[in-house]
Amino acid sequence: MRYRYQSAEKVYNITIERKPSGYLATIDGVPFEFEVLSAQPGELSLRFGDKTQNITWAADGSRRWFSMQGCSYVLEKPTRRSRRAASEIADGDTIHSPMPAQVREVMVSAGEEVQKGQTLALLEAMKMEIRIQAPRNGRVLHLPIVQGQPVERDQVLVVIA
Amino acid sequence: MFSKVLIANRGEIAVRIIRACRELGITSVAIYSDIDRRALHVRLADQAIHLGPSEPDQSYLSFEKIIQAARTSGSQAIHPGYGFLAENSAFARAVQEAGLVFIGPSPTAIQLMGDKGEARSLMAAAGIPILPGYQGIDDDQTLFHFAKKIGYPLLVKASAGGGGKGLRLVSGSHELYEAIAAARREARHAFDDQRLILERYIPNAHHVEFQVLGDQDGNLLHLYERECSVQRRHQKIIEETPSPLMTGDLRDRMGAAAVSAAKAVGYYNAGTVEFIVDPTTQEFYFLEMNTRLQVEHPVTELVSGLDLVQWQMRIASGEKLPFNQDQIIQRGHALECRLYAEDPAAGFLPMTGDIYRFLEPRGPAVRVDTGVTSGDTISIHYDPLIAKVITHAEERVGAIRKMQAALQEMVVLGVQTNWQFLQDVLAHPDFQAGKVHTTWIEENFEGWQPPDCPLPPEVLVAAALTEFQSVSGSQAPPGITSLDPYNPWRVPNGYRSGEAA
Repeated sequence: MRYRYQSAEKVYNITIERKPSGYLATIDGVPFEFEVLSAQPGELSLRFGDKTQNITWAADGSRRWFSMQGCSYVLEKPTRRSRRAASEIADGDTIHSPMPAQVREVMVSAGEEVQKGQTLALLEAMKMEIRIQAPRNGRVLHLPIVQGQPVERDQVLVVIA
Repeated sequence: MFSKVLIANRGEIAVRIIRACRELGITSVAIYSDIDRRALHVRLADQAIHLGPSEPDQSYLSFEKIIQAARTSGSQAIHPGYGFLAENSAFARAVQEAGLVFIGPSPTAIQLMGDKGEARSLMAAAGIPILPGYQGIDDDQTLFHFAKKIGYPLLVKASAGGGGKGLRLVSGSHELYEAIAAARREARHAFDDQRLILERYIPNAHHVEFQVLGDQDGNLLHLYERECSVQRRHQKIIEETPSPLMTGDLRDRMGAAAVSAAKAVGYYNAGTVEFIVDPTTQEFYFLEMNTRLQVEHPVTELVSGLDLVQWQMRIASGEKLPFNQDQIIQRGHALECRLYAEDPAAGFLPMTGDIYRFLEPRGPAVRVDTGVTSGDTISIHYDPLIAKVITHAEERVGAIRKMQAALQEMVVLGVQTNWQFLQDVLAHPDFQAGKVHTTWIEENFEGWQPPDCPLPPEVLVAAALTEFQSVSGSQAPPGITSLDPYNPWRVPNGYRSGEAA
């Protein structure tokens, strides 16, 4: 059977077939023999040669999360949508909320000239103050937030021209 | 002893208290907000009462709702945990006035120690060393005047503060104005009290605190120190006991000072006296007293062999301490790491999200205190602490190695954590040598980035195998789906582990 998974921009083609003493996987044509020692929901114990790897995983839609030897990995089943999302990487002039938060104070108004490093707004999350600062000198082009409003992660806070 | 206790908290500390109740034969009553409907503390408690919306002021901070819940459930006492209302003297008083027992010190002791300015004056009068500083009328003009007298660097602190909120380090007079404004703003917002104090700042200082425990008959002991110098944003992430800085003489002097400090406010129940220690002079100064159970209480429990939460309830019910200071000994070394949902590479920004999978480490003398399980959510509303991992060994080096192994075994999928950061701190030569001071993280981990984990082929193989295992469809909980009947290792006569094919 054939599978496709994506990490960052790279897509991997994986095949898996049964062998008399286990399985044979190929990743973009490169073979890997392995045995399945245990397969519980969310937990795999695989043996590659004489090395055992315990891999924990979870699924979230087309996304797969993995943990192996303390490192975490996220893979995605490639879809048209995920390719489009990748091309929508924000430019440096749009400031996004780093996390879900509440807007405590907006210190500038639309049209105002701002200096690099100037505090534009204060967010609050988990009783912590997050200062949103201007990345460069410029003018506030767009300010779609008001005091007291909740914002989601990656929501646009300020656009500077 | 009480037969029923309400726990006015959530998360890992509520779970910790529920377990203590169970061991003492006390019926536990949990409270919860909308978002915590299915939280672990609700699942574990004998009874659970819904308080209201997820915003703390309408649930975990609501005096009326909590006291009402205690009344309707027939609870005799309220354990506040830490955070929320634990150090709110008005709440403690309201609990008493409702005819219930507040599991903690007297409202007066909370009030006296809760005000940093007042506590400083009180401690000075009791002969406890305090840092040069200023407390009193705090208009900007006066603060500027006294800042000059104290000298730089200095700390601007919220008088009602705690947990690093309303706290600013000022390296020179040019920073003072902005620091005062920011500290006031944060203090007003977090504590509804914008009063500030000033204190000299000692570079390379260690944060060493002493656990105290007293009964209502005036017996007051200390349970030795905890070293809590590994801090980021003025909040602790690794704690241990004994302190690597400590000598026998310093321990005796600080222990005596901690007991005197607590006695000065007629303290009973569990509390912690925090000190700043200058490692060059071995001088120590009173910082503040936390009139509650600490997050890091487990390290003291492992080394002293005492269950602090059980003692809190026994003392509150009127029991006397059956041991004296000489009977309290430190046995071995204990270490605690706090696993937070946060991004250490982005200023330790708290992270939120669903925990798809959470695996706790196991092993001899490995303890995990947590309030979450697989499938739970870290939300914007509360503290992003996921778990505390605590290890106990004969010596410090053993406790560190055990911690490294325990963290290696831990799995959190779905939310970014400080896991790798903790590992890097534990492996650092300064930490291994016990030479960490309170600004060491800032000075040594500026620009820290997690190491690159190149994608191993084993994970890609596992990715393909997940399709064998999972039933597609968004209804099934992630990673906990039933096994696919067509999966190749379940077919009759198929491959079985350890057998020849």
